[in-house]
Amino acid sequence: MEQPVTVAIIEDHPVVTEGVASWIRSDPGQRVRLVQTSRDLTGLRTGPGPAANVVILDLELSGELVTTQIPGLVAAGYRVVAFSGHSDPAIVMETLDNGAHAYVSKEEGRDHLVEAVLAAAADRPYVTRSQARAMLADQHPARPALSEQEALLLWFQGMSKASVGRRMSISENTVRQYISRARAKYAATGRTAPSKDALLARAIEDGVIKPGEILPYESFARGAADRPSPGVPGR
Amino acid sequence: MTAVQPTAMMSGRYQRAFTIAVVFLVAGWHFAGAGGQLLHNRSAYGSFAFQVVMWLVMALAIIAGSVLVLRGTPGWRPAWAVAVVALAASTAAAAASPDSQMLAVNWAWGSAGWIGLLVLLRRRFPELAWFLAAEALAILGVQLSDGLNRTDLAGFLALLAWSTGAQVAVAAGVRALDAAAGQAGAAARSEHAARGRAATAEIIRAARHARWLALQESAVPLVTELAAGTADPGDAQVRTRCAVQAARLRRLLAEGDEVPGSLVHELHASADVAERRGVAVEIETAGRLPQVPAPARRVITDAAIAILTAARSQVRITLAAVAAGIAVSFVADTGAAVRLPAAGEGVAIEQQQDGGMLWAEARWNSR
Repeated sequence: MEQPVTVAIIEDHPVVTEGVASWIRSDPGQRVRLVQTSRDLTGLRTGPGPAANVVILDLELSGELVTTQIPGLVAAGYRVVAFSGHSDPAIVMETLDNGAHAYVSKEEGRDHLVEAVLAAAADRPYVTRSQARAMLADQHPARPALSEQEALLLWFQGMSKASVGRRMSISENTVRQYISRARAKYAATGRTAPSKDALLARAIEDGVIKPGEILPYESFARGAADRPSPGVPGR
Repeated sequence: MTAVQPTAMMSGRYQRAFTIAVVFLVAGWHFAGAGGQLLHNRSAYGSFAFQVVMWLVMALAIIAGSVLVLRGTPGWRPAWAVAVVALAASTAAAAASPDSQMLAVNWAWGSAGWIGLLVLLRRRFPELAWFLAAEALAILGVQLSDGLNRTDLAGFLALLAWSTGAQVAVAAGVRALDAAAGQAGAAARSEHAARGRAATAEIIRAARHARWLALQESAVPLVTELAAGTADPGDAQVRTRCAVQAARLRRLLAEGDEVPGSLVHELHASADVAERRGVAVEIETAGRLPQVPAPARRVITDAAIAILTAARSQVRITLAAVAAGIAVSFVADTGAAVRLPAAGEGVAIEQQQDGGMLWAEARWNSR
């Protein structure tokens, strides 16, 4: 059996922390171990105990959006899974662009949070329906290919991946591959982050995407001054 | 745009009234003041006819100037053309007056100043100052060439103080009134804006109140029961009620979204009935949705109602912008295939059954 993935929860509402902890406890494989909870970001950095692999981050702490804190967390070596009531596509895209591995809305938590944490720990893409929605709504992505876009759309609509596969006459595995590839393409866009590089490197390793499929892309949303160099798969 | 117009018109109306007052003042002065002096001293002039011609020239300048200013602030060319004509006529009239009593019989200085005031009133103030100075210098020049003694100089200064002083005072007064009218206009504008904001606030308040009422009759009793322990979260029925209320809350929040087009709202309205039956309905949108024409909307909402009616406990409706159109999909636990209304009006409908789950999509294409 593998070592369980260690996780920290940063969430300002204790009742939500409690709910997330109960989802983690009720995972049949006990694949995730909760090592720390904190009501704010400073608590995480000074906290005792073993370091967490993954941070479950509520995007709004004490009434303030903390999406801009994600690069700091990523630079400190954490993998970030955003868990939020904000499902506004712009906020979701900003969260991913800042280096979060995945976005899970509060409605999706029960079904997706533990899986998203596991995927993040392995640097693998994980796309929730709310994330698919934001990717579909995004005006300036490195556009996914049509088949990937169709898979994203059907997944957003609420079909299971097996059902999407039947609809598109492809295997469930290919559906996963399409969606992961679309996600990996987004990881190659916008600002650079170690988490995005790791995700891309793993996607190439897994054969989800070929290096030639990654198009350098410059965000239209950002000014020239802080325009990042295109994401390059690290190592 | 229309909100600003009345106030802009209002301050414009005041300014026009001041202009008309100045026109009457100038014409009145020229007719009664200057004309009276001209007639009274008619025997003193070398050529009374020449003086009358100059008076008529200046009267024409007043008419031209009045037309100019009543049409709005004149450009510098026409304004100065009128002013220079008046200056030339008044200087000529003064030069043609008998040397020894030029100032005593001069009727034209005042009129020329008033004409300059009329056409230069709403142009920059230094222009009027330059004109009045030029007018005074011209008269002084005539007096110098006639021979200047101490009495003449005193008379000149007295006349200068009187006529120029009055003209500057009128110009300053009109400017002050213009400024006041502008402030009144601004005040009316801001009051109008405040009324607009108040109306908006009232609409928002009413919408909030309606939402609050909607929660009172549904979510609040459930929360009260949960808090009191009379509703058991372990009970499947209570969980379904919670799911329905959660869906309703989400929908109430979504009403604040800026979702263009009434398709979303029509779908919400269709979902309402299913929610009353205990079905949890979730509606999500992705991307900027295009406007869908009414006949196509009817096809889509008919399909929605058929699915919502057949659903047992949950329906997810999504609206996504796709190339040249919109994809409205339904995922519902109908248990079996649903007879959907016929496609048409540019809407294509497809469905697929996976176990107990129905997936259906209505895709409208604008092309």
